Amino acid sequence: MDEKLREMVFRLCMADGTSGDETGARETAAREFAPYAETSSDTLGNLTAEMGDMGSKTHILVDAHLDQIGLIVTGIDKSGFINVDGCGGMDRRVLPGSAVAVYGKEKLYGVVCCMPPHFTGSKEDEVQETGRMTVDIGCTCEEAKRLVKPGDRILFRTEPKALLGGRISAPALDNRSSVAALVRCAQILSEKRLSCHVTFLCSTREEVGGQGAVTGAYIANPTAAIAVDVGFASQPGVRPEQCGKLGGGPMIGFAPALNRAMSEKLVSVAEKLGIPYRRDVMGGDTGTNSENISASRAGVPTGLVSIPERNMHTPAEIVDLQDVENTAQLIAEYIAEAE
Amino acid sequence: MAELELLKKLSEARGISGREDEVREIILNEIRPLADKIEITPLGNIIALKKGKERAPKKLMISAHMDEAGLMVTHITDEGFLNFVPVGGIDRRVLPGKSVTVGENIRGVIGLKPIHLLKKDEMAKSIPLSELYIDIGAASREEAEKAVKPGDEVTFDSVFDASGKAIKGRALDGRAGCAILIGMMRHGLKYDAVFAFTVQEETSLCGSETAAYEVHPAAAIVVDATAAADVPGVGSGKQACRLGEGPVVPFMDKRTIYDHAYYDMAFRAAEKAGVKCQAKQDIEGGNDAGAIHVSREGVRTAAVSLPCRYLHSAVGVISREDFSAAIKLTAGLAEMIEEERSDRHTLC
Repeated sequence: MDEKLREMVFRLCMADGTSGDETGARETAAREFAPYAETSSDTLGNLTAEMGDMGSKTHILVDAHLDQIGLIVTGIDKSGFINVDGCGGMDRRVLPGSAVAVYGKEKLYGVVCCMPPHFTGSKEDEVQETGRMTVDIGCTCEEAKRLVKPGDRILFRTEPKALLGGRISAPALDNRSSVAALVRCAQILSEKRLSCHVTFLCSTREEVGGQGAVTGAYIANPTAAIAVDVGFASQPGVRPEQCGKLGGGPMIGFAPALNRAMSEKLVSVAEKLGIPYRRDVMGGDTGTNSENISASRAGVPTGLVSIPERNMHTPAEIVDLQDVENTAQLIAEYIAEAE
Repeated sequence: MAELELLKKLSEARGISGREDEVREIILNEIRPLADKIEITPLGNIIALKKGKERAPKKLMISAHMDEAGLMVTHITDEGFLNFVPVGGIDRRVLPGKSVTVGENIRGVIGLKPIHLLKKDEMAKSIPLSELYIDIGAASREEAEKAVKPGDEVTFDSVFDASGKAIKGRALDGRAGCAILIGMMRHGLKYDAVFAFTVQEETSLCGSETAAYEVHPAAAIVVDATAAADVPGVGSGKQACRLGEGPVVPFMDKRTIYDHAYYDMAFRAAEKAGVKCQAKQDIEGGNDAGAIHVSREGVRTAAVSLPCRYLHSAVGVISREDFSAAIKLTAGLAEMIEEERSDRHTLC
């Protein structure tokens, strides 16, 4: 199972899907869901995959956002360098000297410009703003203008890879690891008789505000929802008491916007299955789609499950595959028990 | 172009200073059929004699370095993270978030605290080296120790691309020089020449120092890459050199004042070969010439460098045209050095 799951996560991470431009990721995710559920898409580019008893009065929405952070082309200068800005919460500290792929008329490889301090007059302890950075694709101005236009997207050119144990690293694990958990969940449920209606929503634009989840939840009109995203895992500089842990199992959210009974139910299901878990307590916003979904139409009771992740919003994101599998098992059992 | 295939292979090989074994193997395999005599020195330099159509009036050594700047593991933490030091000059701003390979093919990434948890002033600051670490996914020190040990080399993961007019790849600095030398050996020479593929240029120049001692040349050409700063935000007077304007010939850098007759000669060699050539318009940096020109009684030395953007980062960019031109220019310069009628020494 581990290897199949890893390959699926890698396929999803290799697909391109910057916020507002999720076509590649949507098509890849649709192929993964196709054997188990009926897929469709909507105006804002969300992917939905439905299964179970469509006539049931219980309709559970399970959301994972499809988009990833990246860069967006803002212009091309007279020497053919590409001006950029962040698309989503880009961490400028990882940009200098990064290999990137520009999704222009064709896929072009480039590098984010970086120069030693003695050339730029800057200091080595400063990182300039993303909006002042440029990408070098090795083209003249004319060539660059023919191939690239403002609005095109740019992603890190970093191959997914297996680390020690069951840990993996790839740029888009936020949030394709959760999309993979949803696909795996659909696979588990496809072997069960479901008495409820389930909609898996791979929503767009979460990194720029969650507009996909707003319209996706409105269209689905569910009776309950679970948002799945990545959460902080402990690492140097991130205190263990404020986060989860790689391999520590899904983080079950407790927050003002989350339905307390659902959170407790998720905990009891985890305990029944013998899955490790952590109560992930947030005093305010969860920073996920759960806020967008719970306020949909007249309101939707919503839960949140997070996969622990290190180095969030960098090309060096890391998750543990066992946490992805356990997240899928937890949600599948929660749904299977729903009346 | 056969040289591009070779450059890809060399760029993808891993070999920080002092760990040039993989690069040396590739070069030895390439030059065995081409060289008349090959020697490996105690520090790991390759010295290869290639006979030309004619005997050389002057012993000429043409060198390129095999090593690349990278990192080295110094310590494994209780949590299984790896502390490291840079090997060679690396701007710490190019490190966070990069994918790396450690020791015997263990994959890792350079970790950093997520942006969401930063204080506002931390976002614009580069992370001090002492706070950077490599994450290989180990859950504990014990798990990490089974895979890596202090002293293991760390290299950036390679992303070679030569689909356009530019060539993008790792370690192009030394490896492009190596590919140029092999290119010259493949094309054949008018005069005998000694080719030296050196170790440890990024750290100490001890490779070229001992190679020059061993070869005892009368003249030398150092082939490498040099920093091109022709990017936005750098004024034209500070760019040093520009991609696509041909190989770069320096008159001076931080370690060497180059032989002035050879400097002039390089421009004539370029004209004769019909290729572009540019002067290096600053005196930053240094290369193997620093050790070679002071070897024994002194060696008249020139350098031919490829303009390369983002030297010592995970991806450098060179021009394909400059690369081809450098092979022609270096070959032409070698011939002119041999054919120079009045050697400075006989004038005194």
